[in-house]
Parts: sequence; C-alpha cells; structure tokens
Amino acid sequence: MMDRSGRTEVITVSNRSAGRRRGNTGSDEPLLSVRNLKKHYPITEGILSKEVGRVRAVDGIDFDVYPGETVGIVGESGCGKSTAASSLIRLEEPTEGTVRFDGEDITEYDSGEMKAFRRRVQMIFQDPESSFDPRMSIGDAIAEPLTVQGLTDKPRRNEIVADLLERVGLSESDADRYPHELSGGQKQRVGLARALSMNPDMIIADEPVSALDVSIQSEILALMNDLQKNFGLSILIISHNLAVIRQICDRVAVMYLGEVVELGRTDEVFANPQHPYTRALLASIPTADPTDRGMGVELTGDVPSPSNPPSGCRFHTRCPEVIQPEGYEFDQQTWRRVMDLRQKLDDSALNVEAIREMLITEVDEYETTEEVTTAETKARLRDEFDIPKPLSDPQAEAVLESAIENIVTDNEDDARDLLATEFATPCETQSPALEETDAGQTASCLRIENELPPTELDQTVRSD
Amino acid sequence: MSVDTDTHGSTGTETGSQETFEDVDWERVDDARRSLSLKAVLIASIYIVFTAGVIYDYVIKTPGTDTIGTLGVNLQALDWLYILTLLSILCFVVVPLYENKRMTKYYWRQFRKNKAAVVSLIYLGVIFVIGSIGPRFLDRPAVEPSNAYQPPVFMSVEEWMPVECAGEVSGGRCHGTWAHPLGTTHEGKDILVSVIYGMEVSMQVGLIAAMITITIAAIVGVSAAYFGGWIDAVLMRYVDIQITFPTFFLYLMIVYLYGGSLFSMIVIFGLLGWGGIARIVRSEALQRREEEYVLAAKNAGASSFWTMRRHLLPNVSNSVITAVTLLIPGLILFEASLAFLGLGDPTVPSWGEVIASGRDDLEYAWWISTIPGVFLFFTILAFNFIGDALRDALDPRSEGSGE
Repeated sequence: MMDRSGRTEVITVSNRSAGRRRGNTGSDEPLLSVRNLKKHYPITEGILSKEVGRVRAVDGIDFDVYPGETVGIVGESGCGKSTAASSLIRLEEPTEGTVRFDGEDITEYDSGEMKAFRRRVQMIFQDPESSFDPRMSIGDAIAEPLTVQGLTDKPRRNEIVADLLERVGLSESDADRYPHELSGGQKQRVGLARALSMNPDMIIADEPVSALDVSIQSEILALMNDLQKNFGLSILIISHNLAVIRQICDRVAVMYLGEVVELGRTDEVFANPQHPYTRALLASIPTADPTDRGMGVELTGDVPSPSNPPSGCRFHTRCPEVIQPEGYEFDQQTWRRVMDLRQKLDDSALNVEAIREMLITEVDEYETTEEVTTAETKARLRDEFDIPKPLSDPQAEAVLESAIENIVTDNEDDARDLLATEFATPCETQSPALEETDAGQTASCLRIENELPPTELDQTVRSD
Repeated sequence: MSVDTDTHGSTGTETGSQETFEDVDWERVDDARRSLSLKAVLIASIYIVFTAGVIYDYVIKTPGTDTIGTLGVNLQALDWLYILTLLSILCFVVVPLYENKRMTKYYWRQFRKNKAAVVSLIYLGVIFVIGSIGPRFLDRPAVEPSNAYQPPVFMSVEEWMPVECAGEVSGGRCHGTWAHPLGTTHEGKDILVSVIYGMEVSMQVGLIAAMITITIAAIVGVSAAYFGGWIDAVLMRYVDIQITFPTFFLYLMIVYLYGGSLFSMIVIFGLLGWGGIARIVRSEALQRREEEYVLAAKNAGASSFWTMRRHLLPNVSNSVITAVTLLIPGLILFEASLAFLGLGDPTVPSWGEVIASGRDDLEYAWWISTIPGVFLFFTILAFNFIGDALRDALDPRSEGSGE
C-alpha cells in the first residue's frame, strides 16, 4: 500500500530476526537518527490566543540509535527528556527537525504511513498505574495494538497474548485479570508485553522503573536486557536515575534545559565526564562510603524556566566551572558566588530592604530600617552569598565593593552595568556546540572549545 | 524466564504450534479484508432490521392500516422509540455485562451489599415485566359508569356508593371482589388495569428519555473533552444556552398547539435535558484524556474514534450511570405531575392521571388516588436506592481493593 522499497524485506520474519542478531556493532547505519529536533509549546494570551512566548521544552537535539543498541537520555526533571521521547515518535507533533527511522523521515509521514510505523517503534510508559485502562483486562490491553493494527482474529490474538505473558514472566491466566489486581512490577511487565506485541525494532522506555521499588527495578531492567538480547531490539531509555543508565545503556546523552550537553559511551561518560553538568550530576550520586562527604560540587539555584532560557551556554547560571573574566583572579568557588549575586541582581530578585529588616530583628539597637548602617547591610549582603571580604584579588574587590555600594544605595542599574562590563564571562554570550573531546565522547562546553584547563574543583570530583 | 526465541522461530501459522507475535505477517494482515467480528455484525443487523421496520411502517405500508395486519399490532412512534431503547439496552448493557463476566460478578458483589437496592431491583424488574406484558393482553381500562366506585378486594364501602355493587352486599356494605382487586374509579375504570398500563408508561418515560439523554450527553461530552479547542467551546456554549432554556414552557406551548402527547413529552425532555450530564461526562473525560493509556492507544496507532469508544467512554460510564439512575425517577415524577395537572397525554392511562381522577373522592374512595400513588412512590424510591448502590459499587476508589 505504501511505496517503500526495502520495507518488505525488513518486515518478513526470518530476514528481520537474522538481521537483528548482528548485535551492537554489526551495523553502521543508525536505525533512528534525530537531527535538530525541537518541541516548543506556545504560551498564548487573550481571546485570540496571541502567542506571547514559547516554552522551549526540547530545543534542537541530535542523536542516533543503532540497531541492537541501548541509548539513555538522562537529565533533571523538566529538562525535556520525556518531551523528546514523545515528540520523536510523533505522539506530540515536533515543532522542527527531522527524525529518520530506517532511512526515512517519519516527520513527513501521513496518517496511514504513521500507523504502519507504529508497529516498528513501541513505547513503555512511566506510570504503570495510569498506563493501563482500568476497565480493560490485561489480555485486551496487550492485544490492543494487534487489534488496532487490524488483526481481527480473536483466537489468534489470544494465542499471541498467552505467549507474550509467559515470555515476560507472567502466566497465561493473568490475561483475564484487571490492572488493579496487579502490582506495579507486574504491570510494567505487561507494559513490556504490550510493546513487544507489535514485534518492534525499537522500544522507547520513558522512566520505565522510576515508579517501582528498587528490588523490582532491577528485575524489570534484567527482563528488558533479556528481551533485547533475544529480539535484537534497540532501546531508547529515558531516566533521571544514573544508576539505571549505567546498568543498561551502551551510550548516554545528557540533557540540560532542552539541549544535549554530552553524548558518548556510557563507560566513558561515567569514568571521565567532560561537561561540568555531567560532573555535577555524577557527583550527586550518593556513595556508601561514610568518609566521603560529597565532592563539594553542588548545583546552586533552580533550573531556569525553558520559556526564557539563559543566553549563551544555558548552564552558565548554575555552572560551578563558569569561565572567569579576563584580568581578574578568583578562587573558582568565590567566582561562582559572585556570579550568583550577579544572577540575582539581573533577575531583580535582590531585596535589600528585606536584608535591612532581617537586621532589625537580629540587632536590638535598630528600630527602623533607616537606622541600619550601610556598612552592616553590605556585610550582610556578602554573607547571604558567602562571598569573603575582601576578595583575594584587590582589583576584583574594588569592583565588587563599588557594585555592592550601588546596590545598597538603590542604584541597582549601575551595579548591574558595572558587573556586566567588568565581570563578563564568555559563557553568557557564546553558546558552545557539541564537540569531540579527548576522552572520546562529545560535549558542549566553552572550556572544551577554548581548550581551557578544567578548574581545581573538578579535580576533587575526579578523585572519586 | 529467559526465552529461546528459536523454539518459536519462524514456525508460521500452519504448523499447529502456538502462534507468537513474531509470526504475524503484517503485510498479509494489511492485505486481508477487514472482517467484522460476529458481535458487530449481530448488533449492526439488529439495527438494520429496526430501521427497515420503521421505514416500512412510515413509508411503505398504506397509512391508516396496522403495522402487522395479521396480528392486529399497530406500532406508534412511541412504541418504535421504546423498541429502540430496549434494543440499545440489550446491545450496550446486557451484552457487555455478559461478555465481561468477571467484572460483572465483581460489581454484583458490590451492589449486593445494599439490601434495599437488591429489593428495589427485584421490584423494578417485576414492574417492568408486568408493564411490558400486561398491556398486550389486557384491554384498556374502559369507562363503565355502572361499575364505578367498586372497593378493592377485602374492603367494603357503604352500600349506596357504587352504582351497582359487583360483589357481595352484606350488612349495608358493599364488599370488594376479585373481579376488581384494586377497585374501580368514579368512571368505573379498573384500577389494577390502569396501574398496569401506568407501569408501561412510567417505564417508557424513564427509559426512552434516559436513552436519548445518555446517547447525546456521552457523544457531546466525550467529543468536547477529547478534541478540545473550538469543538469544545462550541459544544459547551450550546449546553450553557440549552440549560437556560425553559423546557417546561416549550412543552406547555406544544400542549396548547397540538394537545398533550406522551411522545412529544418524552422527546422534548430527552432532547433538551442532557446538558447537565454532558457537563459531567466532559469533566470526567478531560481527566481520563490525560492518562497514559490514552497515549498508549495512540502509540499503538489507534484512531480518535477507537480511543473515545474503548477508553474514554467506558471510563466515564460510572458517573453517567449514576447520574442517569437519578435522572429517571425525576422524569417519571415529572410525567406524573404533568398528567396530574391534566397536561399529559389524555389517551394514555398514566399513574398521574389516575391519581388526579381520584382527587375529588378522597373522602369516600381513598383507593383511587392512593393505590397508583403507592406504586409511584415505590418506583421513585427504588430508582433512588439503585442509584445510590450503583454509585457505591462503581466507585473507582473501592476498585483498588481487588478481590
């Protein structure tokens, strides 16, 4: 019905299974190839739904998945990884970009081609409670893709369902049960069975184990691993859990605020992370060693809103390794704190009056905010951001002192301008591109682009 | 648990071994003619026969003759609607309940906990059966002045009250007989027969109007929630307008222009009374639409119709069923009130009409108003009990407990 050369060969059973057995490195053509994928949600206002802004949930990501490979996408909540998964198979229409599957651009497919494509890529959902219709028996839920795709013969469907249930570790009799009678882990097995029923080439798993107990998580991951080996599936797994990624992924893409910041083989990324964000993520994994008090890498601040992402490198507002301005010498940690102060100031989130009021409650001699001395306010402001007084570099100290002076005397604009010109960092103006690194993986950081040495901070990280 | 796929391999369907998902040749499935399931064919043919019957009755056969001449059966518009309602109940309530036996048993166990509701269900079942069969065999209650004011059996009245006492007269009192077990009205109509005819009227009013209401409310509510956007806006603004529309006065106008008719009463209240339930359906369906199983259906390649029919509709049925079991008694009561006020169908012996006919004789002949009143009372009560029990039985919060 569709003119697609080569498709018939792939779809016949024997050829297909044989092709899949080639394993991880057998094929040099990617099965799935995502280029510049974007998903923006318009923010509208008023009766006429005028667009006043966009939430850039996914903002231009590139990656490939090869046959038989497991690729992970990892990142914090809200970084766009789930949106990336659902828009790349057009459960939501992507705003821009191409997704090539087996050489064909699926974003060009019409609804009939799309329906046929659904047989080849299946998805497993995050929440086992909500991914099954409470009024549909397990058997019907597994058979739903078969029915929808036109397999109207019910006895045939029942046979397939019985076989699938056995393969995912449930029993044939479970087909008559309803979702509320199953545990979370069992439901996720059913989710796998439902995805397998189409005999897909690829499975996309969106946080497949995050809703499960730890003991059950590893069972499900092991099952996924088994199935992948048996059927030569490609798996794209979305997770915020680094342990899960490390356990099953061949390659991993680290996402931050709608962009991929680092992409490479899992072992290489975990052993030698190149992007400061990856380093911070890895440092956040708790260790069993009680003498290990953390690496001192801690992300400060909130994840910025994707509707108004930061300029330049999107991570610069939180990056512990943000590049220092030329002509000044800072200790990296202090530099980060000064940047935090600048950030607050730029967001107009600095409230000097609140600092004064706090001082009134703490110091008895003050009655009204007017009585609070400027010196005391300035000292308190530094304390708020943990900025030492004085800074080690006298020139930097002079700039900072005059900026703080401006802040407490209500000249915030002057302070903003002063800090912007004196303490400018390339991170806020230039956006880095994904580049090959010496370690093997690609990462997008200006330090790599400009071949700057890593800071002392990450030395402590690497000692782990 | 690890499975060797080679045992299943590409064995194909004809070898007789169990078929697995790898054996499905989707090219062949695509090429195969879509065969409809037996159930779909049966349901479709039922409706085709029904439509053919209506077309025959209204287009083909000579006007003025009986629908089925040889049997002397003449079906009116109302009868056709009632048949449609009963067919729909069969196809979309009884058949699914039979197919999902385990779910049905589970709901029955929940429902059974409410003893009053079980008794109510039996009572309504009896009313439905007698009301459906009785009028086929009993003649319409006829005016028979000589037979007026007969007391119910085991009762007696002063001898002078009935024109002609049908039963035994002793001690100056006329006793009731089995010829008229529930007595007669001032016109000499048998009350038992009137009550039996009234059962059919009440069931017709409740069920037909409920069917019209559910069908429209479900379609409108689910479509509004699923499609959203301008479809949602248009449908819901229409509901807003319809809810403010004074249906009662529209009916009064119809009565004034064309005379009262049960058919127009049911159709008007059915066609204009679904707004509230459509809102309930929409709000419920909006929640369901966000569930992952709707996304999973899309991921399987399902159409919008499939998702609405298979996922949204079954999941909003709880609130619809509950709302409707509370809507039906309201409609029955409303019909009785209209009939009582003399705004009903004068050709139909409804309970309200019998109650009204006894209102001047309450002092001497209490049974005329009281007996149909008791039936009306218990029918309303029964629907309310069943509504309560269904709400508890279908409450998804209690589903989690399993079995």
